[in-house]
Amino acid sequence: MEKQSFFKLLIFFILLCVSCMHNTAFAKVYIDIDAPGFQQFPIAICDFQNKKGGAAPSSDFNTALADSIRHYLDLSGIFNVLDKKSFLEGLEPGTPETIRFSDWSVIGADFLLRGDIITSQNDVIVESRLYDVTRGQLLFNKKYSGKTGDLPAMARAIAADILLALTGDEGDFNTKMAFVIKKNGQSDIYTMDYDTSNLKNLTNHQNIVAAPRWSPDGQYLAFTSYKGGRPEVYLRHLKTGKEKKISSFKGLNLCGSFSPDSKKILLTLSKDDNEEIYVLDIDTMTLKRLTRNYSIDVSPTWSPDGKKIAFVSNRSGSPQIFIMDTDGNNVKRITFEGNYNTSPSWSPRGGRIAYEGLINHKYQIFSVDEEGHNLMQLTFDAADNEYPSWSPSGRQIVFCSRQGSRSRLTIMNSNGLNARILKESKDYLVMPTWSPRFK
Amino acid sequence: MKKYLTLIGLLMVFSFGLAMFSGCAEKQAVVKDESVQEQKAVSAQAAPVKETDDEVARRAKEQTEREAALKAQAAKEAREKKNAAALNDLNIQNIYFDYDKSNIRSDAREILKANAEIFTKNSSATIVVEGYCDERGTTEYNMALGERRAQETKQYLENLGINASRIETISYGEERPLDSRSTEEAWAQNRRVQFLLK
Repeated sequence: MEKQSFFKLLIFFILLCVSCMHNTAFAKVYIDIDAPGFQQFPIAICDFQNKKGGAAPSSDFNTALADSIRHYLDLSGIFNVLDKKSFLEGLEPGTPETIRFSDWSVIGADFLLRGDIITSQNDVIVESRLYDVTRGQLLFNKKYSGKTGDLPAMARAIAADILLALTGDEGDFNTKMAFVIKKNGQSDIYTMDYDTSNLKNLTNHQNIVAAPRWSPDGQYLAFTSYKGGRPEVYLRHLKTGKEKKISSFKGLNLCGSFSPDSKKILLTLSKDDNEEIYVLDIDTMTLKRLTRNYSIDVSPTWSPDGKKIAFVSNRSGSPQIFIMDTDGNNVKRITFEGNYNTSPSWSPRGGRIAYEGLINHKYQIFSVDEEGHNLMQLTFDAADNEYPSWSPSGRQIVFCSRQGSRSRLTIMNSNGLNARILKESKDYLVMPTWSPRFK
Repeated sequence: MKKYLTLIGLLMVFSFGLAMFSGCAEKQAVVKDESVQEQKAVSAQAAPVKETDDEVARRAKEQTEREAALKAQAAKEAREKKNAAALNDLNIQNIYFDYDKSNIRSDAREILKANAEIFTKNSSATIVVEGYCDERGTTEYNMALGERRAQETKQYLENLGINASRIETISYGEERPLDSRSTEEAWAQNRRVQFLLK
């Protein structure tokens, strides 16, 4: 009995603290989701309660918001979002003190999100509270204000705060994907939001278009296009849609990745009669050659700390992944299994490089550390799995998966588990690249 | 109030006419994607009041653009056909490569010798050496591999006495297969270098 009242007092104090802090979510790392034994977070998301307000709230905003949050958490791959039909507790409005945590733990929820909505005309204020069910604690209590049309953005913000509170990282909710759709010998770049909404055709070159790359500041997309009759590199300002040709040397001009500060871009050029990697300063347009080897050097990608570059070279007889310093020195091979390893993508958290490799006549996704150790095969199915790209959180990888005439964009957790299909098409979906986080 | 309405009406008619006019003027020009996209971006930012005018203008413009693009495409196809016909007359043959290789095979050497003779006879033409790959592997790596095949071929032609300044290279990677099936036979056909005189 004494324990319980102490408990209540504790909750009261936490509430007091939180209401003082209000808009600062707990950045406490709750559980290490990268641990090998990690199980998905079982979470219950209640429909929001319509609280008093001026005009009648739009009829289904409260359930739509909860549905949207459920969808985002589901997509993140680290939540087991419980079916609301299993909820024992009814929808009667309740203060935190009246939550019967045992009702939630018995259905298997470790975490619980509840909240209220106050609407007046088009303005919406959403208050959401995340509870740790097993400890009976409030983890955050936060208000979000916006318009009724901002529902997806609000859902993303709440989902991001849940992830931040539980893992110390806001996740990948505010991100997009760029990818190429190949159709009848022509290809173009498309973008869509992480939740697959908002599909947009970015280029309409009706020609060969390849290798889209986001600038880390989110302002630009660089890519290779044959629209001028040969492979040249373009830089597109995403807000204005203005396109600028930034590399049109003789022979091959292929787009590589941006530097972490978005000021430089890596390129593959054959202007010196051999495919070599160069770095171009975008402001000054000064070019510096990085590789000197009579073989193919291609697909350069910058490390997140800006100190190294991973790339593909066939200097040892077959395409393999190599790493070098940003001045081109200290070249080191890091893949040794198999005879076709390409498409390196560096984890934003550093440490690991994902790539595609040929094994048993199929392309599969692998990851390996920067020393070439701790090789992991991440995909095993009967499809060809290619073009891996990490999410900004470093927790997910998007790739394309092709089997017969069926083509898919798929995301999986970075350990290869929990693959989810994002998009499926009869056209050929290739080269997905994950954007940085947008504010 | 009435005055304003007639003014707006006049403006609408005027801007429609302008759009038609500018559309006609563009008929002759080859469609430039860049300018189109910029204009689209600008019109998207324009005042929402004029939306309907813009819509009409845009449609008219798009129509003329489509026509121009079709024309350009037809002209291009006709040119390509002519080129192809010329090439057939000259009997320039493709050469083929092994999987993931760019070295000139022994069976390709004789073909290149014969081709070089044709190129020497047509000394005013520029030789475009086009490198291609089969569908297996990565787009980017294949673009580089196609370029390597074209470069190796260019080098071989230079050794046979063709002036380097006459030779251009281009790689189409895996993007333009001759045979779109996924069989060993198709792949062998697709790993090639083609020649174009222009």
